[in-house]
Amino acid sequence: MKKLLLIVLISAPFIAQLVVLPFVNRIDPIIFGLPFLQFWLFLWIVLTPFCTLGIYHLQKSEGSLD
Amino acid sequence: MQQGNLTALSITIFVILTVVLIGFLAGRDKATRSSVEEWSVGGRRFGGLLVWFLVGADLYTAYTFLGLTSTAYTAGSLAFFAIPYSVLAYFISYFFLPKLWKVANEHKLTTLADYARERFDSKLLSSLIAIVGVLMLIPYICLQLSGIQDTLQVAGTGFINVKVVVITSFLLVALYTFFSGIKGPTYTAIIKDVLVWAIMLFMVVSLPIMHFGGWNPMVDKIVTEAPHLLTIPESGPKGVAWFMTAAFVSSLALFMWAHAATGVFTAKSADAIRKNALYLPLYNIVLILVVFLGFIAFLVLPDGTDPRFALLALIQTSYGGIGQGLAYSTIALASLIPCSIMAIGASNLFANNIYRDLINPKVKGAKLTMITRGMVFIVIGLALLFGLVFPQALVSLQLLGVSGMVQIFPAIVISLFWRNQSREATIIGLIVGLVVTFTVYSTGTSLGIYEGFWGLMANFATVVVLNPIFVKKAKNSSSAVKDYLFNQTLKEEQLVRKGA
Repeated sequence: MKKLLLIVLISAPFIAQLVVLPFVNRIDPIIFGLPFLQFWLFLWIVLTPFCTLGIYHLQKSEGSLD
Repeated sequence: MQQGNLTALSITIFVILTVVLIGFLAGRDKATRSSVEEWSVGGRRFGGLLVWFLVGADLYTAYTFLGLTSTAYTAGSLAFFAIPYSVLAYFISYFFLPKLWKVANEHKLTTLADYARERFDSKLLSSLIAIVGVLMLIPYICLQLSGIQDTLQVAGTGFINVKVVVITSFLLVALYTFFSGIKGPTYTAIIKDVLVWAIMLFMVVSLPIMHFGGWNPMVDKIVTEAPHLLTIPESGPKGVAWFMTAAFVSSLALFMWAHAATGVFTAKSADAIRKNALYLPLYNIVLILVVFLGFIAFLVLPDGTDPRFALLALIQTSYGGIGQGLAYSTIALASLIPCSIMAIGASNLFANNIYRDLINPKVKGAKLTMITRGMVFIVIGLALLFGLVFPQALVSLQLLGVSGMVQIFPAIVISLFWRNQSREATIIGLIVGLVVTFTVYSTGTSLGIYEGFWGLMANFATVVVLNPIFVKKAKNSSSAVKDYLFNQTLKEEQLVRKGA
């Protein structure tokens, strides 16, 4: 279970910021004053540190952080 | 060129001189230049916050601001590739930088080439990495140079001889770098980062209000008048595929740059680096906003404006003397301070891994320190020479910088995790990667994909295919770094047994 979560947290920033780009490459809807592509990129600036933080805590709890 | 503004020019010159003075004051203590380790990586004593400022100063340069706005001005949302690029670069760095830092700390290494030499027991590989590093870094320093040159040109046309002022300010930077080492750019980086945030936020808030009556009216105007700016082209030589591969390759390349590595090695603990990997992505909020400044320039400036001057011209038409002065001095600092760190990185590579590893292996101690410090003048001198005399010759090297630098990724990062990676396969892979990158670039056969991506794939493939041939030797060879990386648990067990 922890391993699965780790894999999700590691791959999410890559999938969100590279793989799905062709699908978020659009103007509408405009959210918080940002066209959708820019909003999406902005969102992942904020979400990526949470992924890193999650990985950090997972590793710490496993004791694999040296 | 339109006449500059005297108030703006005075503010800019005043800020530059203040920062140079602080750069000198940072090195009052003689210990800052007592050894290569003190001078280039501050004796590895910097805490998380200082490393943050230093890495931020490294990576957000005048070229970032001027280059991104001019890309946004001409090519629209392609400029946003810088966002996933830098966010992913920090994310990826979380997985290898702490380990790399620990090896470097344990074995007193100050450059990436040092690490490769110790890991593979190969001076050929270390000098090769150093040559690639210096060759790619000098054009990068030149970019900073043209950044400050453009800024002073806009600020000071009609008042000063721009070339003379550019040369003087770079020599002053070289001098304080020689004198204070990494401490110089670190303390001045704090001023630069605070100014960058304050000025960029001020511009992002005030410019839409001044020109469009607010942020939302501005976005509406871009959507109706220039919607092509807001999405990435679906196809063409630079479309979505280019965007993805460019962002990915650049993110792998980021910490392969000598100046980025220098910043990282100043940290006092692996945890300081982990924390930086965690928080540095937030710095990119500034970058998104900067790209929008390029869109504003597109809507506001008259047709035919030189894209290179998009941001500077926007500042010039929008603000009075004081506003212009603060904005210009921010860009000038964003040019000078990274330059100092880059010069330290390049000098370190030159002295340690080209001069010592290749030419004079016996040199050490005080003499090596002096040579490393003295190289600052040669590196900045070369950058000035190329930048002012042969600006055209540098264009290709600048475009290929990232694609070239990423080719050392297998030698530096993969080797931290792969015990049996062999020296021979790594060296051949590096060379194949460079050759493929340059061939794809010069023949224009990139097929809409970032050049460095082809090079890196060829590099990886070569290492994987050739490694089995040399694996026997790699298995039997050992070095202190290799033992440290892979036999640590073994060693601990032995210690326990001895103790018992």
